[in-house]
Amino acid sequence: MWAKILTGALFLFMLACAIYIDPVRDRSLLGVRDPERARLRLMTWNIGYASLESDSRAHTEDLKAVAETILKNSPDAVALQELTGQEQLDALLGHLQQRYRGAVCGFGSQDRIEAVLVKGREARFEEIPGGDRYALGGVFRFQKEGPEVVLISAHADAFNAARRRSFTGDVVDWARARSPNQAVFIAGDFNFELRARSQSNIYTDNIKHDSEAYSYILKHFRDLGRDAGATAINDRRIDYIFGLPEVTLLQRAEVLKGTAVGRMDHLPLLVEVQL
Amino acid sequence: MLTQLRIEFIKLIRSKSFYLSFMALVGFILLMLWGFYSYSQRKAGGGGQAAAQFKYTYESKSYFNGLTFALYSVVFSFNLLIPIFVAMTAGSQIAGEARAGTLRMICIRPVSRVSILLSKFLIVALHTYLLMAFFIGLNLLVGYYFGWDNLELFPGPLNLVEEPGKIAWNDALWRFFYAGFSGTWALLVVAALAMLFSILLENSSMAVVATLAVYIMLYIIGRIEFFEDLRPYFFTTDMDFWRDVFKPIIPWRSFFHYGSICGAYIFGLLLAALVIFDRKDITT
Repeated sequence: MWAKILTGALFLFMLACAIYIDPVRDRSLLGVRDPERARLRLMTWNIGYASLESDSRAHTEDLKAVAETILKNSPDAVALQELTGQEQLDALLGHLQQRYRGAVCGFGSQDRIEAVLVKGREARFEEIPGGDRYALGGVFRFQKEGPEVVLISAHADAFNAARRRSFTGDVVDWARARSPNQAVFIAGDFNFELRARSQSNIYTDNIKHDSEAYSYILKHFRDLGRDAGATAINDRRIDYIFGLPEVTLLQRAEVLKGTAVGRMDHLPLLVEVQL
Repeated sequence: MLTQLRIEFIKLIRSKSFYLSFMALVGFILLMLWGFYSYSQRKAGGGGQAAAQFKYTYESKSYFNGLTFALYSVVFSFNLLIPIFVAMTAGSQIAGEARAGTLRMICIRPVSRVSILLSKFLIVALHTYLLMAFFIGLNLLVGYYFGWDNLELFPGPLNLVEEPGKIAWNDALWRFFYAGFSGTWALLVVAALAMLFSILLENSSMAVVATLAVYIMLYIIGRIEFFEDLRPYFFTTDMDFWRDVFKPIIPWRSFFHYGSICGAYIFGLLLAALVIFDRKDITT
């Protein structure tokens, strides 16, 4: 009988331990607040539709809602992905009541393009070649005394991990070649499949390509939205904003839930940093 | 109880399946060696395809070292290979005696049925630990031939970290030591389930198949992304806690939480097995 009682007691003890010990995350990327320093707000958003739709690019009828989200959160710069062309950018700038300036990159071999918007400031834009597609960099000055800010809007291939890796390498190398006086941020939809918690596979080449691409970025940049949660349907975190660790103090990272309209499959990621 | 343990231990080391399990693990390591060799020839950095095609690869010379080999080998085998041998040993404990016609004889001796079952379970636990320790030890030994260096970890493969990390080689050796115990604890869930089936089914083959069917079914469903909402309810998900010892900073709260859940499964199943076996009408 004693053995049964002991086994039962051990069972209850283990159960109590499992309930009592909460496996919470115990560290955060947030830095210490400095009320004196101004905060830079950056947003990235793939406004295209899920790939099952007949046209998975951004839809012009959604741009009003996109503009409302941007105006409501008032980011200093926005990286957008999957626009159909210059006309959509013009329509969006119109909905934004010309408070933002913007540009789009070239198409390359793609049928969709990326854009960068900058709020109320002088800005210049540069195309960044990466394999058969382009990313776009927007350069602007956030504060008179502070460093120039460069926000890159990038969209890596959704279906081929090796192409994602090559593209990421090109974008990171372009970013690293910027002047040390510039604060560079890489934002966009990288489609990396890195789900450390889901453990859904043993080992694949695709996972390894994504791992090497992501690790290459993290060699030089910091993943600012790491704790913000999923940014796309099926609980995927595939939209990122990376910043240089030596100049960026993260204050807030948030995925803006409930903002997707139509059949969008991504949510905007907003980060707030001090330089 | 000690005499009972000694008897069970002698039975264990005299069984062919005991040696078969170790031989299979040796075979697995040989295949891993072959796989690693062909991979490094074909794809790895330092002049391979990857280095020519991409700007960055983490496969430096120091990445492919003996400890990386051991880690990959242990992680790959843990989920699908070692549970087979644990289920085989545990599933045949009672059902094997019943099939051989010796169960009734054992039970009429002046030893309580609870002692018999507990001693059998302890021997299964010992076998599980020996399997883990032997496998880890042999991997480290083979790895030593390539040279031990720091254990570099990257997000994605092995699903261990969310950002690149590193464990110094001497610390990594301790982590392998811990993994022997955490892995054994996780595998005891499978052992306890197999013991229960061994009592219920009275046929060792059926007990082993039933255990593996439940284990593999939950493992597969838990790995399909569509069903990720079901994952928290499967013991196969909780069993993964054993790998936390390979994270650069061990998440102790998470480790103890999931370790306790595994403990609840182990003792819950064992209690059920004890109660059923104690009242069982043995007709063989």
